[in-house]
Amino acid sequence: MTRLERSRTLRLLCTVGAMASLVVVLFPVYAVVVASFETTLTLLGNTYYFLPHAATLQNYQVVLQAQAGHLLTSLIVGVGTAVLALVVAVPAAYALAKYPLRVTVVLVSALLVAQIVPSIVIATSLFKVFHWIHLLNSYPGLILADGTYAIPFAILVLRAFFFSLPNEVMQAARVDGATEWQTFLRIVVPLGRSAVITVMVFAFLNGWGDFIFALTVLNGTTVEPITLAIYTYLGNFTQDWGAVMASVVFAIVPAAVMLVVAQRYIASGLTAGSVVG
Amino acid sequence: MAGVRAATGVGADADIARQNDELGPSARSGRGQLTAGRRRQLAGWLFLAPAILYLLFAFALPIAYNVMLSFEESSPETIASFTAPFAGLANYRFILSDPTTQSAIIHTFEFTAGSLIGQFIIGFTLALLFSLRFPGRTIGRSLIIVPWLVPLLVTGVIFKFLFQLEGGAVNQILLDIGLAHHPIDWLETPQLGLLTILIANIWLGVPFFFLLLYSGLQDIPIEVKEAAVMDGAGPWQRLRLVIVPIILPVIEVTVLLGFVFTVKVFDLVVALTGGGPANATQLITTWSYNLSFQQFIFGEGAALNNVLLVLALICAPVYLWLSRDSLRRSTGAAR
Repeated sequence: MTRLERSRTLRLLCTVGAMASLVVVLFPVYAVVVASFETTLTLLGNTYYFLPHAATLQNYQVVLQAQAGHLLTSLIVGVGTAVLALVVAVPAAYALAKYPLRVTVVLVSALLVAQIVPSIVIATSLFKVFHWIHLLNSYPGLILADGTYAIPFAILVLRAFFFSLPNEVMQAARVDGATEWQTFLRIVVPLGRSAVITVMVFAFLNGWGDFIFALTVLNGTTVEPITLAIYTYLGNFTQDWGAVMASVVFAIVPAAVMLVVAQRYIASGLTAGSVVG
Repeated sequence: MAGVRAATGVGADADIARQNDELGPSARSGRGQLTAGRRRQLAGWLFLAPAILYLLFAFALPIAYNVMLSFEESSPETIASFTAPFAGLANYRFILSDPTTQSAIIHTFEFTAGSLIGQFIIGFTLALLFSLRFPGRTIGRSLIIVPWLVPLLVTGVIFKFLFQLEGGAVNQILLDIGLAHHPIDWLETPQLGLLTILIANIWLGVPFFFLLLYSGLQDIPIEVKEAAVMDGAGPWQRLRLVIVPIILPVIEVTVLLGFVFTVKVFDLVVALTGGGPANATQLITTWSYNLSFQQFIFGEGAALNNVLLVLALICAPVYLWLSRDSLRRSTGAAR
């Protein structure tokens, strides 16, 4: 074999290997989409069909009626978490990157440690605290709890970004007579747009996908996001896989949309999570 | 819009002025005005205030309260009250002697070790594969991230569907290729249950390992790789003697974050097995939930939470040490 032939064979092998691994990685998602179009009769049979067997839209009709409210709830929680992360994290990250404060080392260490704290520890306490201050079964309560995923990460990622802003930009604004707040809002935030979008995308997905806080600080009567609804539905109607799978498709939609629309931000956010570390 | 901004700007000034008043004359310069340095200091604190309040409310308070709960004798009757009678070490004695708790701790170790090994091997292999040049690598690279974006509970539901006894895709594949002669009851056989949650968790964690290790591999200078080829190193030698040593810091961070992530796993197991069959897939997190929210013994649940917290925080010093550059940088922030 010549060198050229060998490199061509190698390249072909790589493509085949990559495609094979992608098939394995993506198969579960494919299976969900296919199953969401199958009848319950097909899904309860003894045979699994790898290709659509007897396609129907019936599951989606069932789900749109039953789950539309829960999808809206998840949307509110996701947006709420993103807004909370924005309000809390952006100014804090700016201060931790650009102001000479004694507390910085302590606070950044606390944020790194906060990322390690398991959610169940927070959830157990928050359940009792929320009970006490009447935040159980409420949007504010759930959003405050969901912020624990997003906020430490957001501050650390944004702080790493703000380091890269040249100090001259802010000094120029100050010379022009801008207050600290005006400098932050008109100069720093617009320059940090891409990092801000990254943390908002992640905060939204955290709020949308949360289950543990939904399970603990809600009782599923007044506020019930889609994850909790799917879990409850699965417990009550384990046999109705078609409807469950159609709900799952809806639960994955935001992530899929983000992957297409904000792919750049997702990839940078995933790696930034370790770079800041 | 500009009006709103100006208005909030004024608000911030008023806040600074108020703080200034509280600080008294010593904080003022001769003309009754803040010096630029002090004004900036105050602005920094105001920018930090929401985050500090949030951290106190959502992290410090729950952790402290959790410690308090773990020394209380709780029962379904005390669920509504903020405090309960002092119980000494009774809750800790209970969880350390309870067989289900012990097995949950062992499962957590097995699950974490298995996940990290699986995720690292697969993630690293894919990262090496996608570092080579071949058609379709760009689109493939972005598609590998998909499992990471699926909500964890949903992943559990999906794998429950795939691993069904009758008509499940996994059993169908095994039957079709002749690896099994009758359907396997994955979710109802104790040993297989743990394997199933392990497989599901590896699936969802591979993208994270892949992406971090891949970006680490991209940072290796091409000259280094070429030099190794020139010196006649084979692929295995290049990997072991050149690539791994260079990206070792990235590997450390990735495994550390993977550990932190895996000891927390909850949603996946609740959806997939619910801790069953016969508590065979009960992890510390799911068993803690069971104690607190199903048996309503919050004291015992809180005690187990503290065991979990200590386990998770073991890696905190390592994490802080690996982040030392970023920490140090903060002390010399712009002046």
